[in-house]
Amino acid sequence: MFKPLLTGLAVAAGTLALTGNALAEYPERNIQGTIQWGAGGATDNVVRSLTPHVEEILGTTIVLTNRPGGTGVIGMNHVMRQRPDGYNLLFGAENPQLYPLMGLADFTYDDMHAVNIIGQGLVVIATHPDSPFDTFAELLEYANENPGELRMGGTGAGGLPSTIHAMINAVGELDVRTVTFGGDGPGVTALLGEHIDFMPLSLSAVAEQIRGGRLKGLAVLNSEELEELPGVPPITEALPDIESFLPWGPFWGVFVHQDTPDDIKTILEDAYQQAVASDGFQEFLENFGGTTLNLSGDAAQQYLDNWQSVTAWSMYEAEAVETSPEELGIPRP
Amino acid sequence: MSDTFSYLLMAWLDPGLLGLTALGVLAGIYIGAIPGLSVTMAVSILISFTFAWDINNALALMVGIYVGGVYGGSRTAILLNIPGAPSAVTTAFDGYPLAQKGEAGRAIGLSTVMSVIGGLIGVAVLAGTAPHLADLALQFAPRDYFLIAILGLLLVSSLSGKSLARGIFSVALGATIGLVGMDMVTAQPRLTLGSMELLGGIHYVVVMIGLFGVAEAFYQLHNMAKVPVKQKVDKIIPPLNMVLKFLPLSIRTSIIGVVVGALPGTGGDIASLFAYDHAKRTVKNPSTPFGEGAYEGLVAPETANNAAVGGAYVPMLTLGMPGDAVTAVIIGALVIHGLNPGPMLMIETPHIFWFTVGNLALANIFLLVFGLTGIRIFSKIVEVPKAIMIPLILVLCVVGTYSLNSNMMEVYWMLGFGILGYWLKVFGFQMGPIILGVILGPLLDESYRQAMSSVGDRGGDFLLALVANPLSLVLTTVIALVLLGNTPLKGWLVGRFQRN
Repeated sequence: MFKPLLTGLAVAAGTLALTGNALAEYPERNIQGTIQWGAGGATDNVVRSLTPHVEEILGTTIVLTNRPGGTGVIGMNHVMRQRPDGYNLLFGAENPQLYPLMGLADFTYDDMHAVNIIGQGLVVIATHPDSPFDTFAELLEYANENPGELRMGGTGAGGLPSTIHAMINAVGELDVRTVTFGGDGPGVTALLGEHIDFMPLSLSAVAEQIRGGRLKGLAVLNSEELEELPGVPPITEALPDIESFLPWGPFWGVFVHQDTPDDIKTILEDAYQQAVASDGFQEFLENFGGTTLNLSGDAAQQYLDNWQSVTAWSMYEAEAVETSPEELGIPRP
Repeated sequence: MSDTFSYLLMAWLDPGLLGLTALGVLAGIYIGAIPGLSVTMAVSILISFTFAWDINNALALMVGIYVGGVYGGSRTAILLNIPGAPSAVTTAFDGYPLAQKGEAGRAIGLSTVMSVIGGLIGVAVLAGTAPHLADLALQFAPRDYFLIAILGLLLVSSLSGKSLARGIFSVALGATIGLVGMDMVTAQPRLTLGSMELLGGIHYVVVMIGLFGVAEAFYQLHNMAKVPVKQKVDKIIPPLNMVLKFLPLSIRTSIIGVVVGALPGTGGDIASLFAYDHAKRTVKNPSTPFGEGAYEGLVAPETANNAAVGGAYVPMLTLGMPGDAVTAVIIGALVIHGLNPGPMLMIETPHIFWFTVGNLALANIFLLVFGLTGIRIFSKIVEVPKAIMIPLILVLCVVGTYSLNSNMMEVYWMLGFGILGYWLKVFGFQMGPIILGVILGPLLDESYRQAMSSVGDRGGDFLLALVANPLSLVLTTVIALVLLGNTPLKGWLVGRFQRN
C-alpha cells in the first residue's frame, strides 16, 4: 500500500526538479475511480485487473468505488459533476451511448473525454445442453413456425440481449417471449435450470459453462468461428445480412471530464495505453473472453461514434425504440 | 483422498493462512457491527489490495471477513437495537430486550455459540452435498421465487407485534420503497419524481440504518432520565445444557439457512426472517414470550444467517454462479487471479473447494474464540450514558450510510427515514415489517414478471404452473396451510365441519 505512494513521491520530486512545471506533478495525490456497475460484474472485473498496472505507471493509488444503478447513469452523472482536474475517472461500459435514445439521460460519452477504450467483449447465443437446437439456424426455423413460444433471457431494455434481438429483427424475424433478469448472472442461472430456452450473453459470462458442458453455444456474434469456441458457428451462417452490423460487442472504457487540462489527459492516455498493453493485463483479458482495443484520442472517438450509430439504427429499424436516432443527430452507419 | 485431506487442513497448518483467517474474522466482526460497512464492500476493496498475493492468502482473508461480518451484525442489534446488517434485523427483536434486562453478556455469548453451530452445519452441508444442493437450487424457477416471496410476505404475522393492521401497512410501505427506481424490464423510471439520483432506487441498507439507527436514537430521547440497567457479566458462556436444549431448533434453522442461502436469488437476510418465523411457530414454550427476550428468538436467526454462508458457497464452488453479493465479488477475485470459476472449477482445481471448506470451518473456530472474548467490555456499552451514546450512534449512522456508495443523497434519505421511523415508532408501528417489504418487494416484482412472461403473459397458464410442477406445488401447499392456520378461515372451516 505504501510502496506506490513512496514511488509516487519520488516521481513527483523527480519531475519537479527536472521541469519545474506545476502541471507535470500530476498525479500528486490519490485518484478517485468510479465504476458505473456493481462489484463482481464484468466491468468491475476488468477495471480491478487493470488498475494495479496503471497505479504502477502513474505512481499513485486509484481508489475504486462502485456506483451502480440506473444502467450506469448514476455513476456517470457523479463523475461529470466533479472538478475537471483529472482526479476523477469514470470506468464504464457501452450503455451511455444509448442514454438519449432510451430516454434515460441527455448525456453520452460525447460529453466526456475518452482516455482509453480498453477492450470489447465477444457475444455468444447460448442454450442448455438438453435443448433440441444445435445451431441458431435451427432455433430460428422453429421460432418462425411457432412464433411467441420460445423463452429468451433478457436484461431489460437497452441491455445486451435486447440489442442483439433488435439486430436480428432488423435483418430477419425472431418472435419470442422475453424473460427479464437482473443481469448476466441470474440469466445464466435460469438457463442452467432450463427455465428459459436461450439467451444472448457475453462470452466472459458463459465461456466456463460451455467448456464444462453445462451450456452449449448456438452461434457467436461474429463473421467467423472463434478460436475460443471451436464448433460454435458464426451467426452469419443463419443470418448472412447481420454482417453489416459486425464487428459488434459490449466494450469497457476509461473517461475523464471534458474540461480536464490537456497535459493531464495526455499523461492519463499514455499510462492507460501502457497498462492495457502490459502482458499481465493481456493475459487476463484473453482468459476473460475479451479482445483488446486499447484506443485513445481520435481512434477512440471514432469507435464510440461508430458503435453508437450501428446500435441505435439497428434498434430503431427493429422498432425496439420509438425515438429516431436522426432526431438525436446520430448519423446512419 | 489424502489429497483432499491435505487441502482441507491447508489453512489449519500454514501459519500465514491461519493468521490471515484470524485477522479476517476479527476485522469482519467490527465491519459487520457497524451499520453500512458491509462485507461486500470490504471484500471488493480487498480485491485490489490482494491483487499481487497468492490466491490462497487472498481467499483466506475474504473467508474470514465474510464469516466474521455476518456474525458481527448481531452485536449492535443486541446492544443498541441497531442491526449491523439486514440479516441481523430479527436478532434485535429478542436480543435487545435481553440487553435491557441486564443480560447483554449472556445474549452475545449465546448468539456466538449458536452462530458457530449454524456456521459449522452450513460448512458440513457444503462439504457433503454441494453438487446435489446446487442442482436442487437450479430447480427453482421464477414462479418458485414468486411463491417464496409470497411466503415471506406472510411472515408479517410473526413480525407485527400487537397490531397486524399496522404490520400489513408497514409491509406495503416497505414494498413501495423497494420498487423505487428504474423498471428492470422497460428501463423506465418508477416513483422517482424525475430525480436522476433515484434511478438506482433506494438501497435497503439506507432504509435500515434510518429506521433502526436514527429512529432508535431519537426514540431513546424519550427516556433520557432512565438509568441504564447494570449488566450481569458473570455468566457469559452459555452452559452446555442450554446449548443442548436449543440444538434441535438450531439444526432446523441451520437447514433453513443453508438452503435459502444456496438459492441464487435469496440470501442470509431472508433466511434469518424465515428462521425467526419458524422458531415462533414451532416453539410452544419459549424461555419468555417472543419479542420480550426469548432465547429462541436469538438462536434462530443467528444460526440461519451463519449457515447461509456455507449455502452461498454451494452454487459458487460447483457452478461458478454467485449465491449472494459477497460470493459474486469472490468470483470476481478468482477471475482476476486467473482462475476459471465455473462448473470445471471443482474438477480442474479441486483444492479450491476443499481449501474453502476447511478454511470456513477454521474461520468458525476463530469466531468462537473472538466472539467470546471481550464480551465484558462490550456489555458495558449498554451502560454508557445516553447523552454520550446517542450522538455517537448518529455519527456512526451518517458515516455508515456515506461509506455505502459515497453518496451524500443517501445520507439525506437515511435521515429522512430516521424521522419517519421515529413517528412510526411513536404511533406503535414495528420496523421489522417495513424491512421485510423493502427486501421482498423487488423479489416479488421481478419473479412475478419473469414467471408471467415465461408463460407468454397468460394468467391461466401462470396459475396452472403454480400447481403443475412438483416444487411449486409444495410451496403452494405450504402457503395454503400457513394461510389456513393464520386466519379465521381455519376456525370457520373447523366449525362447519363439526356442525356437519
